[in-house]
Amino acid sequence: MTSDRDRTDPGRAEKSHESAVSTIPDGGTVNTPFDVVSEYEETRRDRLKKLYDTYVYAPISIIKRDWRARIGFAIVLLYVFTATVGVYLIEPTHVTEGPGLAKPFETWEYPLGTDDMGRDLLSSTVHSTSEILKMILSGGLFTVTLGTTVGALAGYKGGVVDTVLSSITDVFINLPGLPTVMVLALMLPITGNPYLIGVLLTITAWGGLARAIRSQVLTLRQEPFVEAARSMGVPSYEIVFKDIVPHLMPFVVINLTNAARRVIFSAAGLYFLGVLPFRNHNWGVTLNLAYSGGAHYKTGALHWFLMPMIAITGISIGLILLGQSLDRVFNPRVRARHEKKLAESQLDEVEPEDDDSETMIGAA
Amino acid sequence: MTTSQSTYLDDPTANDPVMEIRNATVRFGMERGESRVLDDVSIDLERNEIFGVVGESGSGKSMLASALLDAVVEPGVLDGSITYRPQSGEPVDVLELNKNELRQFRWEEVAMVFQGAMSSFNPVRKIDTHFIETLTSHDYDVDEGMERARQLISDLYMDPERVLDSYPHELSGGMKQRTLIALSLILEPDVLVMDEPTAALDLLMQRSIVSLIEEIKEEYDLTILFITHDLPLVADLADRIAVMYAFEFIELGPTAEILQHASHPYTRLLLKSTPNLASPIEAMRPIEGSAPDPVNVPSGCSFHLRCPLADEQCVDVDPRAYPVGDGGDHVANCHYWEDAPETIPMTEEWDVEGIDAIDSAPGPSRADGPLVSLEDVEVHFEKEGGFLDFFSDPDTVQAVDGISLDIYENDVVVLVGESGCGKTTFGKTAVGLQEPTAGSVKYKGQDIWDLKRTGGDGSMSFDAVRRALQIVHQDPGSALNAHRRVGTSLEVPLKRWNPELDGNDRKSRIVSLLEHVGMAPAEDYIDRYPHQLSGGEQQRVALIRAMLMNPDLILADEPVSALDVSLRVEMMDLMIELQEQFDTSYLFVSHDLSNARYIAEKTGGRIGVVYLGELVEIGRPEEIIHDPQHPYTQALRWATPELDFEGGGMGGESPVRNIDVPDPTNPPSGCRYHTRCPEAREVCTTEHPEPREASAADFHEAACFRTDERHEYWQSPSITDD
Repeated sequence: MTSDRDRTDPGRAEKSHESAVSTIPDGGTVNTPFDVVSEYEETRRDRLKKLYDTYVYAPISIIKRDWRARIGFAIVLLYVFTATVGVYLIEPTHVTEGPGLAKPFETWEYPLGTDDMGRDLLSSTVHSTSEILKMILSGGLFTVTLGTTVGALAGYKGGVVDTVLSSITDVFINLPGLPTVMVLALMLPITGNPYLIGVLLTITAWGGLARAIRSQVLTLRQEPFVEAARSMGVPSYEIVFKDIVPHLMPFVVINLTNAARRVIFSAAGLYFLGVLPFRNHNWGVTLNLAYSGGAHYKTGALHWFLMPMIAITGISIGLILLGQSLDRVFNPRVRARHEKKLAESQLDEVEPEDDDSETMIGAA
Repeated sequence: MTTSQSTYLDDPTANDPVMEIRNATVRFGMERGESRVLDDVSIDLERNEIFGVVGESGSGKSMLASALLDAVVEPGVLDGSITYRPQSGEPVDVLELNKNELRQFRWEEVAMVFQGAMSSFNPVRKIDTHFIETLTSHDYDVDEGMERARQLISDLYMDPERVLDSYPHELSGGMKQRTLIALSLILEPDVLVMDEPTAALDLLMQRSIVSLIEEIKEEYDLTILFITHDLPLVADLADRIAVMYAFEFIELGPTAEILQHASHPYTRLLLKSTPNLASPIEAMRPIEGSAPDPVNVPSGCSFHLRCPLADEQCVDVDPRAYPVGDGGDHVANCHYWEDAPETIPMTEEWDVEGIDAIDSAPGPSRADGPLVSLEDVEVHFEKEGGFLDFFSDPDTVQAVDGISLDIYENDVVVLVGESGCGKTTFGKTAVGLQEPTAGSVKYKGQDIWDLKRTGGDGSMSFDAVRRALQIVHQDPGSALNAHRRVGTSLEVPLKRWNPELDGNDRKSRIVSLLEHVGMAPAEDYIDRYPHQLSGGEQQRVALIRAMLMNPDLILADEPVSALDVSLRVEMMDLMIELQEQFDTSYLFVSHDLSNARYIAEKTGGRIGVVYLGELVEIGRPEEIIHDPQHPYTQALRWATPELDFEGGGMGGESPVRNIDVPDPTNPPSGCRYHTRCPEAREVCTTEHPEPREASAADFHEAACFRTDERHEYWQSPSITDD
């Protein structure tokens, strides 16, 4: 508390029990708003209810109304389900488990067929899902966290901080992506750890996001609400992450899904080329094997190619749909409309002004 | 839903209407029901008149403009009939026109001037391109048209060659707005619809443009529909005034009639709530309540919820248009129009409550020395030079140039001036949000920027300064984080500065403050997002947030200019009340002399007049309003529109020689005002006047040679042409 404001002014008296350091005992006047004690009690239960309303109920009810979100969410959930539960339902496959190159839907034992060594394609697709999802997760989070943090700090702080961070960003933007990844994959002791591979694949991808975020922050930092926070002495990191970044969330989410897709595509591509180290089979490796097995010219082996491709395309579509629809979740207007408590009563009286003003603006 | 008609058809003078609007209704289907944003409006626009439409935001006045041009945006539906009668030829039914005819009609017969001159021009194209494009797309002869454009621009007191060869950003706001007027007249329309054409401009510029509009109207034989929220402004200009409330006209009549014998309670309350310079401040009262929702307009008279005269008849029966007086051209939609003048008198106090408390405002206590002291503060911004511009010096904008000001405890200083004169920059410097390039800013004797850099001598920390100096922004919508609820936004200062409070303590303090400023039930407001609040409520939240810091000085940067006229007095009263309770000082920034006077007079504060980065005059409101010494203050005084209840036109000739403010990167030498000053003499161009005592009154200083009777100014030859 400040030491310079020790005026014993009853007008400034605050609630006396609140602090021993700062406040003067109540002078007896009840004129100031600080003296008015209203009975505001909020129990833990209320708070949990509110948290539930904000972070669970509202997003879900927003998502429910958007078909893109429903489909995207269903697809992504299917993959997550496959990666977590599916691996227990379907036995891992091994060489000469079945006949070589069995066609899909020929027997129910191998519904998606087998490869030339008799491995069940369904099983190998299912069992590589979790590894790919781990890569996506780590790669996507790495890109978005680093890109947003570096970009937002550089844009907000300016000056030397900006120069240093922006220079680092530029270096990473200008690294040639594919060769860097290949060299690093050979040099580093990764040994097929999917999380590390995810980070490795996006090591040059966060720079672009950081640049884009920085330029957006440059305009947002001039906003009055940021200036107000500054004048209240709120620390910079709080201003950046609580005031500024929420405004960029739709953009960040789109970038998260794009980064995730980038991870899948480059992982599949690099496995196909045989550059990345791997422990188990995955979609990319299967593609590689299919190619070297000549599936592209052998009749009756096309499904060998198709299965991993469908798996890759499916999750990519799911992520795109989800990313596109999630931006609505971060819009406070949409959120407010979907929250239980406010939804019925007050919104009705407040919202027409918005609608009206929008139409007015449109008209003018 | 109301079913009334605002019908003014039996006007005996109405023999040559240029536009007839009958039963115009605009509907928007919304999820919650049908919203009528224009409700059965009928009106005649006489040829060659200036027709003023006055209403608060959201009263449907812009929708009326759109309806005139059949330009209601989707999914709005316009019903009724709109007939345009050209000087010669057949009447045109506007709503029956096809797309091509409509395109011709819109700019060639009826043109429109929008509010946002800033966004009406394409920033990457030169001004002349806009003119040429308009001409070619309407198949006009370009050379002839450009000749007319030059004439128009010079009629609006601008240099045609310079303007046409500029990019939009190179013109000031006032010049852009005038260029826009020229552009709207390029195809020689008969009717000009102006939708808040001056709202974004300064008073002096507004006033200048308004007088230009009159000249233009005479010269080009126009009929003008002038839409505004500012009754005093249009009162000088319009022949007839219509007042809109809740999407219909509630009163209409000749200007003088409306001003002297306003008969609808809303009009009378609106007149009373408008701050002005002449009437005593006690007479200015806010209108209780807020404007109705377009989906849910009250039954009967739409104003009955806020009306002091309302009874059952008003709830049940929608009033028709009652003729007022003998002329028959003044009508009011009120059952009790005869009683309104008695119940709502214009001058006497009719509600004494609450005024006494404010009269006893303590005023600044100067004994302890200044709270914040600014000495010779300069803020210069460097404009970045071009990429290959190694040799020329960079341009500097001298936003603030040598202002000294002391602010005491419980003090109120109001800075007035045109936009771009540096008053906001100076204000931000005073609260430590902008570092001065020269001079010092001291808080209780400590230089705050030294304190920030070196940590000071230990007696005070920069944190204490940061806490003591707060800001309330102009636009409450962007001053609150749109992603945070009211409660979360308000918790920030408490979390930062009162860490000993737990969640419930913080909440109860916030709740009690919200209730104190009239936002009840506060528990509901806490959980709202800013977009769920009205502008006035947002500004209250921003104000409370600053107050929760328990600051010593608040910079209020045009805190009421984003609000509706009827809410301004209420907000200013609230700020004054909070000042007393929290024992703070205010530094107000305003471009409006009547608001400045209201605040300063109620608090015993001072008004400072800023021109091009310099403080040209400062003093008590009595002196500044009634005995201004600096010619610029006199000009501002002239520019402040007044409600002249006795009728009569503009208050004399314009006291400025040049309506545009000089370029702040290259301010005039000597006295900076000499380029516009009607009293300028040779000596003003070379010598710079220092502030000196301007009258016998306390704290009245002006920076003008005319205050010194022995100055060589009086021997110097005049440089004005006339």
